Amino acid sequence: MLENIIFQEGYPFSGRRLSNMKEFLKQMVLDYDEGIEYSLSLLNEEYEIIGCGSLEANVLKCIAISSKYQGMGLAATIVSNLVKEAYNQGRSHLFLFTKPNNRAMFEDLGFYSILKTEDILFMENSKQGLKNYIELLKKESDSKMKGKPNNRIGAIVANCNPFTNGHRYLIEQATNQCDWIHLFILSENKSAFPTEVRYELVRQAIKDMDNVILHQTSDYLISSATFPTYFIKEKSKAIEANCRLDLELFARIAPKLRITVRFVGTEPYCEVTSSYNKAMNKILPEYGIEVKEISRKKDMGKPISASQVRKIMQTGNLDTLRKLVPETTYQYIVSEEGRKLVKSWKN
Amino acid sequence: MEIKHIGTAGTMGSSDILVTIEKISNGIDISLNSSVEKQFGNQIRSVIAECIKNSGIENAKVTAVDKGALDCVIRARVETAVYRACDSQDYVWRGIK
Repeated sequence: MLENIIFQEGYPFSGRRLSNMKEFLKQMVLDYDEGIEYSLSLLNEEYEIIGCGSLEANVLKCIAISSKYQGMGLAATIVSNLVKEAYNQGRSHLFLFTKPNNRAMFEDLGFYSILKTEDILFMENSKQGLKNYIELLKKESDSKMKGKPNNRIGAIVANCNPFTNGHRYLIEQATNQCDWIHLFILSENKSAFPTEVRYELVRQAIKDMDNVILHQTSDYLISSATFPTYFIKEKSKAIEANCRLDLELFARIAPKLRITVRFVGTEPYCEVTSSYNKAMNKILPEYGIEVKEISRKKDMGKPISASQVRKIMQTGNLDTLRKLVPETTYQYIVSEEGRKLVKSWKN
Repeated sequence: MEIKHIGTAGTMGSSDILVTIEKISNGIDISLNSSVEKQFGNQIRSVIAECIKNSGIENAKVTAVDKGALDCVIRARVETAVYRACDSQDYVWRGIK
């Protein structure tokens, strides 16, 4: 029986405590994830770590128990504390990733499976979470689509950070080929432009497009919840596994909205996105979803990208943006709020 | 009393129950995950429902992860979670009215 367990917590750990935890995770064949915001370690009387767990936003991570101490309820202690910490931060919808063989343990701690791939089991602490999200998507669509042709339905998932003429072009190409397009904007608030601004700029820019239905991705598509990397050793494999999980989740949601094709812009710049697109081409057809890559719209021979727009916002001549973004985005960029935003990037 | 934010009480340790209460707009929704669901699931739900009803709260989502807690423990945890969710310290234990 364990009597003297020592608790250590950090927001997150640094220095010796951090290196000790990394060392412990390494022994457990896990990686420490750099985005972690809160960690908890349990130590025995000799000050050796016997278990630990971490939290990044609403995702529980890097949970491990030393093999000598398994079966004593330590996982429950760690998960209880992580869950409470998340609740104290006002987050009630929680996720975790684990190896598929840990399923029973986490089910006992109030988590439910969403999806399992070969390497990863993705769980949430709500029985109905994904189902409720799909219900919401349907509600957002049904009233609009009622009584109109709906033979071919497509989807686009985009960050729009911020919305450019390139996005507009991609959506136009997609709507030309479909009766309806579901446009999913990433909900994760980790981009240069805050989520509500990105969403609002998209909403304004597509006002004239009657057959586009705007959604938020919530936690279920390309969120920090669906892109874990920490417990897979080779990083290249990790990215592949992440892509697979995210895409399989998309493949689960798509048929509920009768989506049969996903449109994506070609990716000339970002390596992660380009390998994500590659994975998309491989995985979605397995589920009967077609993938259409649309060449990016160009300005003076160069593909338009949101990252280029952000660069110009910081250093360049704002006038050149007029050719790259719609009027609504431009107005935001030159507004006081937009200027404040650029300043905040520099700090 | 009115729910102001998420309130939580308890642990997932053996013989305990972790209760979380948050605001929703449409009635009482109790979601239970219990190691003794088959034997006592309905009993646990009814104890939780009764506590919530006594507290006068009409709209709440209650999530509970139970590890075989006795009824008295369940009541204590639910009552505490309610007080915490409401930022209230006007404690009247065993029977929020």
